[in-house]
Amino acid sequence: MARADRREGDQIRALHCVLGQLGRADGSAQFSAGDTSVLCGVLGPVDVRVYDEKLDRAHVEVRFRPDIGLPATKDKWVEAALRSTFERVILGHLHPRTLVQINVQVRQGDGSVDAAAINATTLALVDASVPLRTMVAAASCAVLPGGAVVVDPTQEEADGARSVHTFAFGAGCSSEPVYSDSRGDFAAAEYDACYDLCAATAERVAAFMRAAIEGKVTKEARVGA
Amino acid sequence: MAATAGQVAFAMEAFRRIHPVEFQRRFLSQETRHDGRAFGQFRATQVVKGTISSAQGSSTVRIGDTTVVCGIKAEVCEPDVRRPDEGYLVTNVDLSPMCSARFRAGPPGESAQVASEHIFRLFSGHVVDLRELCIESGQAAWVLSADIVCVRHDGNVLDAAIIALMAALEDLALPRATLDAGAVTADRSATTRLTLRRRLAPATFTLVDDAYLVADADDAEEQLATASLLVVLDGDGRLANVWKRGAGAIGRADIARCIEAAAARISATGE
Repeated sequence: MARADRREGDQIRALHCVLGQLGRADGSAQFSAGDTSVLCGVLGPVDVRVYDEKLDRAHVEVRFRPDIGLPATKDKWVEAALRSTFERVILGHLHPRTLVQINVQVRQGDGSVDAAAINATTLALVDASVPLRTMVAAASCAVLPGGAVVVDPTQEEADGARSVHTFAFGAGCSSEPVYSDSRGDFAAAEYDACYDLCAATAERVAAFMRAAIEGKVTKEARVGA
Repeated sequence: MAATAGQVAFAMEAFRRIHPVEFQRRFLSQETRHDGRAFGQFRATQVVKGTISSAQGSSTVRIGDTTVVCGIKAEVCEPDVRRPDEGYLVTNVDLSPMCSARFRAGPPGESAQVASEHIFRLFSGHVVDLRELCIESGQAAWVLSADIVCVRHDGNVLDAAIIALMAALEDLALPRATLDAGAVTADRSATTRLTLRRRLAPATFTLVDDAYLVADADDAEEQLATASLLVVLDGDGRLANVWKRGAGAIGRADIARCIEAAAARISATGE
């Protein structure tokens, strides 16, 4: 089976990330996989509006901006998915009566944007030193009309696919997805195959993110010394 | 002195209102639910088609006390230049203060927008063949505006909305439209039905209080939910959607069990 960009079925696109790019945010990260690139800036813990104030935990707010045009209903859907994922991953009870604001901007969308947004958010939260239960890594895969399963689909592959699957896992915890969205036309066996592939891929993505953070921390320690 | 039945009922109601979490836990820890259902038991579902005569297709769905009305209005418009042979399906879920005190009047809130978008993604192109809505290529096409209004919110509105839209689409009778001399004329005496590609049937499972996975949660249980799993199957037993929301722990084995339970429910309802 040949993919348009000559990748193997289980091969992801080249990953790239930049931490702490935004000067005025408490933490930020840009996460790219091939031509898909997402920028995330995190503010927090900061002052919360009285209306959103929670006595026992931090309020988590997510804003998701698309690459083209104003946020529409489909972006609200991603926003809600991100919030429901990270609301419990962030240890909010350590910062009661505050706000953690997550701003996500898609820089370029070429498939698997949901997964890239989750990965960028994790990196930005770590960069902002927001306490987390675990590091979350996400991966997407698609089942093509021929039945072949490909990981990290491009927009073209996703548009032509029979089903598209996105999973997010906490570090080292591939038996309980933090987030899962599968849609299209698929059998239970295909779902299992996609689950395994995404779990394996998410592990590799998590290792990449860990290396990126370690790189930044060692560099900062060297400058500080 | 023994308490009378009235006093017990009052104490129970007070307990439910003052300590809703503890109230639910007392039931859940005994492997039962506050309305007497078993964990895997769904509420009775009623579907009535054609409840709004002024709409081209309509239905009313009740799941327990949750009531949802769906009306589809068909209008003619110009197709998108990029897709001259396709019409449109527009879905709109309305969660107004009428159905629950938690919703505010005004523009649709997040949960309504997410439900609208989710249903749109499930149906547009996958259930409704948009090319069937074309009247004249590049000139005129049908827009199906599906308004899904929640009348009473007692949990699991997304399932009810999906069932309602599916029933309304089956009920939909489009007038035969022809385009002559730039104007579309619709012949209401001759109607056609859409050929739907798949028949979707949903089932939602909710993780309550981070420990108990229950089917078809009602409003009180949804308030304590830490995660939920929507499984949508079609008539052939193939999956259309598996969607987990919330970071609560629904493991892989649980997901597999939920898919099986959803399939069993759909074959049990005989649809």
